[in-house]
Amino acid sequence: MNALAAHDRVESHDPFPYAGPVALRAAIEGALRRVVDPEVAMSIVDVGLVYGVDVSERQVRVLVTMTSAACPVVDVIIDDIWHELSRVLPASLAIDVELVWEPPWMPARMSARARAVMGW
Amino acid sequence: MDARPHERARQGRHGLVSVALAALAVAAASLFAAVAGGLLRACPATAPPGLPGWLVAGATSHAALMICGFLGTLVATERAVAVGRAWAWLPPAASALGALLLIGGDAGHGRLALLLAGLAFVGVSVAIVRRQFAPHTILLAIGAGAWLVGNAMLLADAGTPLPWWFAFLVLTVAAERLEMTRLTRRARTTGLQLAAVVAVLLAGATAASLAGAVAALGIALFGAGLLLLAAWLFAHDIATRTIRAAGLGRYMATCLLLGYGWLAVAGVGWIGLAAGRPWRDMALHALGLGFIVSMMMAHAPVILPALTRVRVRFGAAFYAPVALLHVSLAIRLGLGLDDPLRRGMGAALNAAALLLFIATMAGAAVAWRLARGGPTRRELD
Repeated sequence: MNALAAHDRVESHDPFPYAGPVALRAAIEGALRRVVDPEVAMSIVDVGLVYGVDVSERQVRVLVTMTSAACPVVDVIIDDIWHELSRVLPASLAIDVELVWEPPWMPARMSARARAVMGW
Repeated sequence: MDARPHERARQGRHGLVSVALAALAVAAASLFAAVAGGLLRACPATAPPGLPGWLVAGATSHAALMICGFLGTLVATERAVAVGRAWAWLPPAASALGALLLIGGDAGHGRLALLLAGLAFVGVSVAIVRRQFAPHTILLAIGAGAWLVGNAMLLADAGTPLPWWFAFLVLTVAAERLEMTRLTRRARTTGLQLAAVVAVLLAGATAASLAGAVAALGIALFGAGLLLLAAWLFAHDIATRTIRAAGLGRYMATCLLLGYGWLAVAGVGWIGLAAGRPWRDMALHALGLGFIVSMMMAHAPVILPALTRVRVRFGAAFYAPVALLHVSLAIRLGLGLDDPLRRGMGAALNAAALLLFIATMAGAAVAWRLARGGPTRRELD
């Protein structure tokens, strides 16, 4: 059965914009929540670094940002995303993690939990 | 199956890993020569004749090798990885070359290469400001400028470059911590307070480069700047929050907060030095080892994988070299304040802490490979 049949698709915005099969939504969110930004000791989802996930028939496309352009851990975080997604997704789906700088990351993107930890 | 898009992109981004490894190998050699030379200096006994050239260079160029050859190459490599362009590798390549020339005994060309490294690093830092115009990128560029000034002073043999070199390291750390305060609910004045601290540090470094009484005032001002920066970090840095996290987050915060404590001690050391107290060792090593090396130990488990693709598995063992560093520094700068023998013992234990840290990192790399080095699972296949 094609897991990506049109009637199975869902679009949601919380905690990040997601467009794709409903069957994969929780697994993808769980995988991304396991990727930790080491400097702030919080998941990239909580920090608000995930700008969106789009699942098509052939690939999963993840848009992420970083809080700083001078940050050298970008590749480590991207590798972790790739690793965690590859553990939960079918091998037929290519994984494309794209780093974007627009719009710039803002503190308002943090989750309620992250904001509480950081004293907001 | 075909190479995935991300894999292809990844190969593109990491074509320069071998350059990074070469730069880091020279940085490590620089650290080794500088530490061995430093121990030779800290040893109360007279050095025996017939020492190898690299060891003599390590002793005479201890600060240049430690700050430029080791830390400068490390910071410049880190920045090159972040920028991801071939030309961004010029600064670490030049500082690595400078370090090799210094170790080889060619101080003249070594200093010239370091000047080139400083110049190129300012260029890379300005490129980062153009990419992201923000207070922390501007501060990183000011730090790069301080490195350039220090390296120019070294080449021209125009007084001690130490305040400028330390300003480079301190401002680099401050910029990175300022960036992290974006996650907190900071007041409008937070950035302005740091700008004032930076102004005090730069005024201090400038005056310390001049002659006579102004120089003493500059050294005291630099010390005041360090004290103010420690206060700013304790008040605003996220480490006071992430210390409540688990695992790596708590470890990093522990190193950071201990480092901020030594930063304050260093501030007192510089002020005492200006007042004629024999606190030179405290001024230089509370700052260089207590603050800067502590920052390095905090970030190494994250930065090494970013630079070399070698991942490490964090564990409680990381606390051992950190504890040894801070206890040995307390011995060196506390008990050893008036006792050269204890000071020498503390310095030897400082070196042991660095060695233990390198061994811990190597062990953690092996542990990661054992735990997660196998083929990726495809649970839903």
